[in-house]
Amino acid sequence: MIEFINNYLVPGLILGSIYALGAIGVSMIYSILRFAHFAHGDLMTFGAYLAYAVVVAADWPPLVALPFAIAGTAAAALVIDNLAYRPFRKSRPIVVVIASFGVALMLRAAIMLIWGVQPAPYVEGIEPPLESLEPFRIHEKHIIIVGTALVLVIALHLLLTRTKMGKAMRAMSDDADLARVTGIGTERVIAWTWIVGAVLAAAAGVLMAIDTQIKPTLGWDQLLPLFAAAILGGLGRPYGAILGGLVIGMVEELSSYPAWDTVQIFGAKLLELDKPIISPGYKTGLAFAIMIIMLIWRPQGLLRGRVL
Amino acid sequence: MLVAEGLVGGYGGADILKGVSMRLDAREIVVIIGPNGAGKSTVMKAVFGLVALREGRITFDGQDIARLPTEQRVRRGLAYVPQERNVFVSLSVHENLEMGAFVRSTVPRSVYDRVYTLFPPLAEKRRQAAGELSGGQRQMLAVGRALMVEPKVLLLDEPTAGLSPRAMDEIFACIRAINREGVAILMVEQNAKQALGLAHRGYVLATGENRFTDTGAALLANREVAESFLGGGH
Repeated sequence: MIEFINNYLVPGLILGSIYALGAIGVSMIYSILRFAHFAHGDLMTFGAYLAYAVVVAADWPPLVALPFAIAGTAAAALVIDNLAYRPFRKSRPIVVVIASFGVALMLRAAIMLIWGVQPAPYVEGIEPPLESLEPFRIHEKHIIIVGTALVLVIALHLLLTRTKMGKAMRAMSDDADLARVTGIGTERVIAWTWIVGAVLAAAAGVLMAIDTQIKPTLGWDQLLPLFAAAILGGLGRPYGAILGGLVIGMVEELSSYPAWDTVQIFGAKLLELDKPIISPGYKTGLAFAIMIIMLIWRPQGLLRGRVL
Repeated sequence: MLVAEGLVGGYGGADILKGVSMRLDAREIVVIIGPNGAGKSTVMKAVFGLVALREGRITFDGQDIARLPTEQRVRRGLAYVPQERNVFVSLSVHENLEMGAFVRSTVPRSVYDRVYTLFPPLAEKRRQAAGELSGGQRQMLAVGRALMVEPKVLLLDEPTAGLSPRAMDEIFACIRAINREGVAILMVEQNAKQALGLAHRGYVLATGENRFTDTGAALLANREVAESFLGGGH
């Protein structure tokens, strides 16, 4: 049981928290700007590298560098929107999707040019798990990741339910045409959507780099699970995206849970199951499978979002 | 107060409006009727800036507003209630009203109170999601949302479409009450007889052009209008 918690449940929760942060942005951008933002993963990477730059230059811990990464990524998202997406506001969605694909490639190339292609950890050396939490193997970074994600999600909740701009974001996500005729300043809402999406993406990128290491494909590799999480939760439903992120993260980690334990309870070893349920190599495939199943079975997602 | 002259335009394809003119004076209720495809809703959308006009002028209080963005029209005192999808379904009733007042930096409590007094069912359900309201209540909320900017002119696109006769009467009564408070109302309506009974003046449109213009009572009494546009003569 403890092994299960240490090796599967905790990593699932960590990965799920990171996916949740990224998926919220994907989901909100889809419902407010009406396109699938393919550069979202690379915004994560960009945030992670900004934090890396601060960590290297100022020798601060990653968590202290996080606000700088967040601010820089939000600014970058606004610039990108103005240059690459705004001219296509009235075009068909596929045009903007392709534009975002281009932005993804350019962002990644720029990151490689500036910081190189070599993966690196934020902080050298291995940190032991927290002794006070024995026998659970929980590292300080795990607390940081889940704690940061929790704080951001609560902040998002307050923004969406207590502020005029947050409510306008929900309104526009409900019905952009009605928002326009109501007199809601839709360009301002769009700008705030980018800020929120970028803040959460940067945080997701930094947290992922804290958990593993930093590399130019850090965010791009997460794009599929992010979309799967957003669709699973229901597009345009931030709380759905959180739920979807946690589910996808958990499923990916639990999928490599060795099944032999369970089978041996019955005494006989009927099948050669002395290996993971699904090979870890198929983790991402699993997210994809969930996405496909949801699109067929319940395209509006768990929380009744927009149909893709 | 609101004057549209020689409007020509549509949604990008063939012109739907072929030179429609229209006038709304302060404190008036004006009703637009006509068969399907006459361009009734399109005129209203054009006044509000949702239709690409090739020709024509729209002035509001003497100022040309034809090129103004929607947000600016709302700020100047025009409010529009679309026929369908006219509430934010996942927002609460109260949040819908807050969004109605988005262009205002401060909203006095009295503005909310006025809407809640006008539409008591909304006051009872102010914390509920708008998606849970009945058809009539939704329509009330849509009108209430538009009233949040305290408009001089309220544009209503078929406010009673799909409602039960009782809900319809309620909405018409509300429209009269709003008008009595001094709001001018331009309204497209399928229930032409009832609407003309309420209206100071009416316009009959057909195929994108003006056909008849007169007081509500005179249009109701006009045999040709009755035969062609009010569903059978009498």
